Amino acid sequence: MSPSAAAPVLEVTGLCKRFGTLTAVDDVDFTLERGASLGIVGESGSGKTTTARILVGLERATAGEVRLDGELVGTSSRRQRVAQARRIQMIFQDPYQSFDPRLTVEEAIAEPLRLHFRLSAEARRRRVAELCDQVGLSERNARALPRQLSGGQRQRAAIARALGIEPAVLVLDEAVAALDVSIQAQVLTLLDQIRRDTDISYVFVSHDLGVVRAVTDTAVVMRLGRVVERGPTEDLLRSPQHPYTRLLLDSVPEPGWDPAAVARSNRALAAAADAPGDLA
Amino acid sequence: MRTVHSDAPVVRSTDPAPAPVLSVEGLTLSVRGAAGPVPLLADVSLTVAQGETVGLVGESGSGKSLTVRSAMGMLPSTATTSGRVVVRGTDVLRAGGQALRDLRRSAVSMVFQDPRAAVNPVRRIGDYLTEGLRAAGTPRGQARAEAVALLEKVGLRDPEKAMRQHPYEFSGGMLQRVVIAGALSVRPSLLLADEPTTALDVTTQAEVVALLKDLQAERGMGLVFVTHDLGLAAAVCDRVYVMYAGRIVEQAPSAELFRAPAHPYTAALLEAHPSLHGPRRQLRAIGGRPLALAEAPSGCSFRDRCPQAVDACTEGVPALRRHGDSVAACIRPGRENWT
Ligand SMILES: Nc1ncnc2c1ncn2[C@@H]1O[C@H](COP(=O)(O)OP(=O)(O)O)[C@@H](O)[C@H]1O
Ligand SMILES: Nc1ncnc2c1ncn2[C@@H]1O[C@H](COP(=O)(O)OP(=O)(O)O)[C@@H](O)[C@H]1O
Ligand SMILES: [Mg+2]
Ligand SMILES: [Mg+2]
Repeated sequence: MSPSAAAPVLEVTGLCKRFGTLTAVDDVDFTLERGASLGIVGESGSGKTTTARILVGLERATAGEVRLDGELVGTSSRRQRVAQARRIQMIFQDPYQSFDPRLTVEEAIAEPLRLHFRLSAEARRRRVAELCDQVGLSERNARALPRQLSGGQRQRAAIARALGIEPAVLVLDEAVAALDVSIQAQVLTLLDQIRRDTDISYVFVSHDLGVVRAVTDTAVVMRLGRVVERGPTEDLLRSPQHPYTRLLLDSVPEPGWDPAAVARSNRALAAAADAPGDLA
Repeated sequence: MRTVHSDAPVVRSTDPAPAPVLSVEGLTLSVRGAAGPVPLLADVSLTVAQGETVGLVGESGSGKSLTVRSAMGMLPSTATTSGRVVVRGTDVLRAGGQALRDLRRSAVSMVFQDPRAAVNPVRRIGDYLTEGLRAAGTPRGQARAEAVALLEKVGLRDPEKAMRQHPYEFSGGMLQRVVIAGALSVRPSLLLADEPTTALDVTTQAEVVALLKDLQAERGMGLVFVTHDLGLAAAVCDRVYVMYAGRIVEQAPSAELFRAPAHPYTAALLEAHPSLHGPRRQLRAIGGRPLALAEAPSGCSFRDRCPQAVDACTEGVPALRRHGDSVAACIRPGRENWT
């Protein structure tokens, strides 16, 4: 079942998620081309994480569908689910929680290899070393426990472990948000490199427009569960059409910034959203 | 204060300078470790004039929080210090408990990153706000009236109702406003804000920054704004100090810091920061990771990561040198001198 290279690797249509009376994700659509990188931007509570969790099967959608290589995600047989889990992987903001604290980094990277591939112990060791090398972890880092690594090193380890599974899509949820700017740049550069070397695709969730600009080709802007604007990332940032996108852009501090003006448009937008009829 | 390699004196933004509201002079700080003293700050000097906003920027572990907390007399329990930290004429490092309490009740206050950690979750906002005023001797009725006025000042819609509410009933941004109201209740001449907007969404950040700047202009306070975000520092501050591994490596007017960074670390930080402007370019990462003072190499602390480092960078900690309107701890300050 070799998927056609032209078909999108990921197709999301009419995605909804309700928690009780709260609609966290409201009719979200997007497609991700093979080898491309899509940003999901928005402030906290806009539904980014919930969307990401549905993509990787950690959460069930209330309505709508997710297709990975043309196949429906989440409704298929157990065998299909395992195969799909292999093809889409998630990286979290704090990778610490996704590591078993008792396993060394190289053991953690080897574990999914054991699960998904038939490799000799020797071949597996070679593959782990190769993955560590690819993300810039030293041999010493590889033998360390997760808690002995810095935040940036742990994020590299999480990326290496995910790459080992050879996913088609990597979903990254605020994956560089907790890192110092010098380390953040290292991880972003690494992600860019990996995408150029392989045909992997990214769904890159972030509240930071600068970061999204650095690693995505297209983006959707979410607000209160809905996509309010979408397009090529450069176009979105250069000529935002929706007032909320404009507000997000104006909120980024720089020399000559006017926070009082941002505060005023924020209140105006909130008032418009409260009013019946919805915003433009 | 460290000598400057130039005939001209160190730049001060306000001249003729009235006494600064905060002056840190050669602050060096270490704590007790298992294998002897662990140095955390080395020779930190900075001044804040009345009405001035001064930024303290740097990556995590560079010593920003330790530096601002020293102005409140909040030091690690095993700290040994040298140098001076003077707030409105009081040397905080040598002040006794009573003098420190007086200072915190009348001259200096602080706003932290996490407002939820700053307020007692089970007490009402009204109690939180009146407590300091009452301790300073304000009668109950007047303290209450002042607290309500402060809540109104920081932009809470229904201050009377807010007085009766608990912290969990507020969003992070609104609670940070309450904490700012608390900080203002002592009528400080110096307000220390340690990453006050880091935990907030960008639009809420703008609201809180606008509020802080308004209050500062109205009251003429000195404001120290600690942040890891260079863009934010440039937007908010008159002058910025850049810290690396427990030292100040550059000081410059905000606009200058952005236009012509004098220290290679400042320049590298700017290039590592994903920008929204100009043509899209490859990010330039800085190798290695930010270091604490105790882990830093001899000579210039940044030399292992510095693309401009030369052999001479190992020979002692570089003195502060004047470069344009900036002062930088580098033997070759300024981009035009780099390869
Ligand atoms: N398990 C859950 N139960 C109830 N509400 C939830 C749950 N997960 C998320 N939410 C709510 O859904 C909304 C969207 O949350 P989230 O997807 O985490 O947004 P974001 O990642 O953009 O900050 C928020 O209002 C959040 O409180
Ligand atoms: N009470 C303390 N005891 C020991 N080390 C400390 C203490 N407080 C801070 N440090 C260390 O001092 C360095 C500077 O810390 P801090 O001022 O909090 O940095 P920043 O605020 O710039 O992130 C860090 O390496 C930190 O681990
Ligand atoms: Mg989230
Ligand atoms: Mg700090």
